[in-house]
Amino acid sequence: AVAPSAAPSAALPGGLCVLVDSRCITGGAAVVSCLRLRHGVTAQVCSLDGCDFVVSNRMGVEWQAQAELASTQNRKRLQERVQSMLGLYDRVCLIVEKDNVKTRDARQPFQRTRYYDNTLAGLVRANVRLLVSEGPEDTASLLAELARVEQRKGQAIGVPTEVKGHRQQALQFYLTLPCVSYVNALNMCQNFRSVAQLVSSSVEALQAGACISRSRAEEIYRSLRYDCNPSLMSTNTNKTSKCGS
Amino acid sequence: MDSKFSPAILSNAVPPYGHVIANEKWRGSALVQNFKGNVKVIFEEEPGVVDFYLSNKSCIIYVSEGDLVAGNYYKRRIVRFRNANSSLQGIIIVEKTHLSEQYFPSMQKFVVLELGLTLLPVASQAEASQLIGHLALTEGKDNPFRRRSTSRLLEPVVLALVQQIPGVGKVKAQALLHQFSSIHQLSTTSISDLEPIVGQAAAQHIWGFFHHQLD
Repeated sequence: AVAPSAAPSAALPGGLCVLVDSRCITGGAAVVSCLRLRHGVTAQVCSLDGCDFVVSNRMGVEWQAQAELASTQNRKRLQERVQSMLGLYDRVCLIVEKDNVKTRDARQPFQRTRYYDNTLAGLVRANVRLLVSEGPEDTASLLAELARVEQRKGQAIGVPTEVKGHRQQALQFYLTLPCVSYVNALNMCQNFRSVAQLVSSSVEALQAGACISRSRAEEIYRSLRYDCNPSLMSTNTNKTSKCGS
Repeated sequence: MDSKFSPAILSNAVPPYGHVIANEKWRGSALVQNFKGNVKVIFEEEPGVVDFYLSNKSCIIYVSEGDLVAGNYYKRRIVRFRNANSSLQGIIIVEKTHLSEQYFPSMQKFVVLELGLTLLPVASQAEASQLIGHLALTEGKDNPFRRRSTSRLLEPVVLALVQQIPGVGKVKAQALLHQFSSIHQLSTTSISDLEPIVGQAAAQHIWGFFHHQLD
């Protein structure tokens, strides 16, 4: 295939692109290589902060082992991850992967607990899409399938995923905006000529340029035009919160 | 019209909290008996495609091991539900057993990816009744996964944004926001208006950050 012109693009025309969080690269090497080799998907490793995979402009995917999902020790982390993902993505998916069979008796069925069922019920009520995977290969085909469905709906990731120079600074600024995920920020870098142009954009222009929903665009617009009260800034507010976290 | 299928939706389908409306065919089943005291069951005489109605606008279609192996019949039921449904959240519960698990991947693709409905696998009717119990009872409680509304005060967000500008730390950020109260105002300010506040070098950085062409 011919390399796309200009900056390294997300994917070849018509090809699929999935963003992979750099922190899940160690555990997810099998998934990533399977995505690339078997499904022909461009798997770009990025620092996604809070989500394992991004398969479209609006869908983030969390990937968990079934035992992890069933473990009460993991409760707080899962809640925080899902809450922050619901803040950043219109569609949130959770792939539950069957535990590595080598680590336990293959025929021993998974023991469902009240906690596990309660967790599932909560996720369903929060509109998280659940997918069950039999292992890394299955996870890769589910991710490729999700990306394909999203592409059909016009939501495929279509921007360069590598950012250099001034764009790097703009990217960090965009990522600090409320409700902006990594892929939204990439779209902003690509579709606005300058930071000033984005800052002075209408809600409609933000929505189109960042490929986001109306409500997210309104939230961003509000934060860009928000008049700060000086007396509220001098207090020690060391941690900013993205919406949802 | 196939009378077995005709009422895809019941007219008065939302049961009170803690109750489940069950399709008549489940009367006496192990699944319903396992609900015990947690959930009260009301039977609906008129059979439809849906097996259980829960409060909070959701309902369950149950696909047994046999249904899954047999194939197309359950698909017709689900499509039927999908076409008739307007406001209920559809949850499909499927018996994924050693016998039926080979059919599960294609079912998952069909139900979740193509139709966008929720699919929850269980190993038996006993597991299903436990799960339905939880689904029926969680809705009244606070859902820990739902994001809580955030503060309407955006000062910390704006302060963090200004600090993303190269060469601007917390002190300069505060000084800038005392003078120009929003990001939008800051982005339209000239270098000469920035200089008295942060000095010449930083003023150029800030102006450049907003106005450099990104290509």
